[in-house]
Amino acid sequence: MRSIRVIAANTFREAVRDRVLYLFLGFATLLLASSKLFGMLTVGDQSKILKDMGLGGIQFFTMLIAVMMSVLLISREIDSRTVYFILAKPIRRWQFLLGKYVGLLATVLVNLALMTFMLLLFVWAYGGGFDPRLMLATGMIGVEMALLVAFATLFAVLTRPILGSVFTLAVFVVGHVSEDLWLLTRHLPGSIGRGVVTVLYYLVPNLERFNFKTEVVHGLPIPVTAVLWAVLYGVLFTALVLFLACLRFGRRDLK
Amino acid sequence: MKRGIIALLVVAILLAGAVTAERAMQGIDRQDPLGRHLLYLPSPEMLRLASLGNPGLVADVLYLWAIQYYAQYQPHDRFLYLEPIFNLITDLDPRYDDAYRIGALIMELPVTEEAKNKAAVIRLFDKALRNMPGNYEIAEAAGWDMYIRYRDKAEAIRYFEAAAAMPGAPHRLERFLGVWREQGEGWSFDDALAYWREVRDEAESRYDRTMSERQIYRLYAGHDEERLDPMLKRWSTRHGSCPSSWQPLVDAGWLDEVPKDYFGHPYRILPDSCSTMGQDEAHVN
Repeated sequence: MRSIRVIAANTFREAVRDRVLYLFLGFATLLLASSKLFGMLTVGDQSKILKDMGLGGIQFFTMLIAVMMSVLLISREIDSRTVYFILAKPIRRWQFLLGKYVGLLATVLVNLALMTFMLLLFVWAYGGGFDPRLMLATGMIGVEMALLVAFATLFAVLTRPILGSVFTLAVFVVGHVSEDLWLLTRHLPGSIGRGVVTVLYYLVPNLERFNFKTEVVHGLPIPVTAVLWAVLYGVLFTALVLFLACLRFGRRDLK
Repeated sequence: MKRGIIALLVVAILLAGAVTAERAMQGIDRQDPLGRHLLYLPSPEMLRLASLGNPGLVADVLYLWAIQYYAQYQPHDRFLYLEPIFNLITDLDPRYDDAYRIGALIMELPVTEEAKNKAAVIRLFDKALRNMPGNYEIAEAAGWDMYIRYRDKAEAIRYFEAAAAMPGAPHRLERFLGVWREQGEGWSFDDALAYWREVRDEAESRYDRTMSERQIYRLYAGHDEERLDPMLKRWSTRHGSCPSSWQPLVDAGWLDEVPKDYFGHPYRILPDSCSTMGQDEAHVN
């Protein structure tokens, strides 16, 4: 456990020093600040635009941070062979990978918390009042990102950095449209085709399960069970992907 | 140093060129006869997919674009696409209150034949009510639009009935509904009286109760005027002048007692027109 904590702390420190992180954070702040301008163009409720843009921007930039940083930081260790020095110590491979994952997730979550704070501040400053439910929406983005970082970790040990980023991005896109796979089963003739699509649907994470933005923006009720099941779904899927990543990394020839 | 200055000059020249080109393009008046920007309007399903979980944000962007696009008011063919665009926005975000209201407002602009616009406005408001069944505000807005813009009391009543039936709807909706019904449907005295009594009994605020009482007062006054005014005219014709009070009519046996209004005050007689007026009528009006 101590090994994981040390690697996680180092990974977090390394990520925080990376300029790419601040670039994304800067863009996110700019987007949040400029959402007021878009709000001014509207006729009606400005806070809806602020919240929509804010939550959309937070999701987009957190996803970019998760995809870019995760793949880069793990691949860098392998490519620059610093991983040899670490693994020469009494640290198991799965501990190394989990440490990396935890460090990266901490980086993503700290950024997410910063952006959430900024969103709350902007919404409050622009007259939308203090809306604590925004934290629920961003919290669920956090669960989604935990899963995405796990995928990025898996792809980082499976393939090259660029491909890994592309694959993780693909998981993000497919994860948000996977519900349509389910709808497709209704239109497919025959049980084989339907079965294949059903299996595919369950293999791909349905990231829309973590999406509570519409309910938060419109002030609609959110069933507690929906949130709890989504968190459980996220945790289980993340554990599964991390397990696969550890399995692969354990057998990978690092020469 | 020299290379740096040259590089800076090159950047400045290129940027100046780009800015000049942009300014030149701004001055060119380009026609958009068939709303070419809108010919390839994607389907809501496709946009929902492409939004990656942010259909509300895409709806915002489309809505902002639409209000800028249609704000430059011109009687133009591009208004033909108005309904599909606001349908698209409200398909992406079915609870986008502002999009329904502003969409209807733009549709009410007299750019095409009135009836067509009205049908589109009704379709948009009906869609809003289907998507937001508890939103009395949108139904109220629809009712007012129908009443003020189109003078369609039947549609106005339909929307107000829907609004008044929604939980949490303010009492004023029932009051307006009653007024419009009286005007639009020509209720009988008994129908109207029963309605306003119910409104008064269910009123939650003093203001609403007072307003309902006044409606009842008006109903009674109108009803009494129909009976008393012809009597005054007849008296005036027979005696050559209008009576200054009701007492001569009581003494002559035309009336059992001095007629009183709903609040128990005797009606006044207006000498100029020789007609009845309630003591509180000035208040009510």
